[in-house]
Amino acid sequence: MSHILQRWWRTLIGVLSGFFGVQSERRREEDFKEGRAIHFVVVGLLMAALFVIFVIFLVRWALSLSGA
Amino acid sequence: MGMIRIISRSFPLTLLPLTARAEWTVNLSPGVTEISRSIYDLHMTIFWICVAIGCVVFGIMFWSIFHHRKSRGAKAHHFHEHTLVEVIWTLIPLGILVAMAVPATATLVKMYDPKDAGLDVQVTGYQWKWRYQYLDQDLDFFSNLATPQEQVTNDQAKSENYLLEVDRHLVLPTDTKIRFLLTANDVIHSWWVPALAVKKDAIPGFINEAWAQIDEPGIYRGQCAELCGKDHGFMPIVVEAVSPEEFQQWLVAAKAEKAAAAEAANRSWTLDELMQRGEQVYLGTCAACHQANGEGLPPAFPALKNSPIAVGDVGAHIDIVLNGKTGTAMQAFRDQLDPVELAAVITYERNAWGNSTGEAVSPTQIADRIGAAQGEGN
Repeated sequence: MSHILQRWWRTLIGVLSGFFGVQSERRREEDFKEGRAIHFVVVGLLMAALFVIFVIFLVRWALSLSGA
Repeated sequence: MGMIRIISRSFPLTLLPLTARAEWTVNLSPGVTEISRSIYDLHMTIFWICVAIGCVVFGIMFWSIFHHRKSRGAKAHHFHEHTLVEVIWTLIPLGILVAMAVPATATLVKMYDPKDAGLDVQVTGYQWKWRYQYLDQDLDFFSNLATPQEQVTNDQAKSENYLLEVDRHLVLPTDTKIRFLLTANDVIHSWWVPALAVKKDAIPGFINEAWAQIDEPGIYRGQCAELCGKDHGFMPIVVEAVSPEEFQQWLVAAKAEKAAAAEAANRSWTLDELMQRGEQVYLGTCAACHQANGEGLPPAFPALKNSPIAVGDVGAHIDIVLNGKTGTAMQAFRDQLDPVELAAVITYERNAWGNSTGEAVSPTQIADRIGAAQGEGN
């Protein structure tokens, strides 16, 4: 069980590094050796959706601050 | 030395207008509205941030090149990646961008909030003039370029406001929130007045919104900012900001003028009167395409001199001026000119440049034609 969790956690870190744009060569190679493509696709789409929701809330918050 | 001499000989003009350069400003205008000033402040803040970044980055770069020069025995250090440095050079720009986004967002939110305006003005772009409609005021006029053609062709000295002057100013009150509703009649234009910090596309079939609250009375000039055809550079904007009291007086006077023009359509006009008025209208409204000498610029803009329409059936001539011609640049002038102006310009076209029909078209004839067309429409 913990092995599966660890694998998803590593995938998440890999995806977030991709979002940020910086990843070390060592981790990248590990991801390619041990990770599975479908995991990256699922986590990637989830994170992209979270990012969109984050931007929506950010805009709402900015608008509420300025009283519009 | 030889090089300098060659340069100063080749480009003597670059050395001459030093006095002109002192007044030559390249920076953004601080403008005359709260929004324009905050845009100016943002622009300057971001400019100085860029200057600081430039100094730091190029400073480190030049120092590194100098300090680690080959003559001192410096050896390049070969490495492929450095995650910490990469994270730092990503986080610092991110922080700077967020810091700039905070004040910029505050200004943008204000710019896009046209609520609670005290005056609505519809601005419509035409090839190549602007139409201003004071909504709820029953006032509506076109604003045409006023610079004479002779200045464009260098037959006359250019005036101070060359190509930035119009026959009718857009008069607006100060200390009032004015909402602009922007659209266009033919192609995409853009209404741009730097001092008001308004630059908005005017698109056929769309209504864009913008607003301004002018703090200081004065004349503010602008131009069309979206390439819209042959005379894109010949459709300036002149905003005249006056105190709210003066604005009310101006409204009354402008409406009286409109009523007087309607009155003038009912009296009879002599051929000479029509010709005189017609020449003014022609030069302001028609000459851009059909040219002052009536010879046009074929094939796009046909000649009126000896043209079958200008010397043929008067009804057909009136119809084409009133309704334009589909598929060509010929616009419908029914709403752009009043009956007197229409009658005068048609009379002028039928009797100028050797066209000698001797016919005078009366304003009542035009009004009847418009009335008949409206009757058919209903």
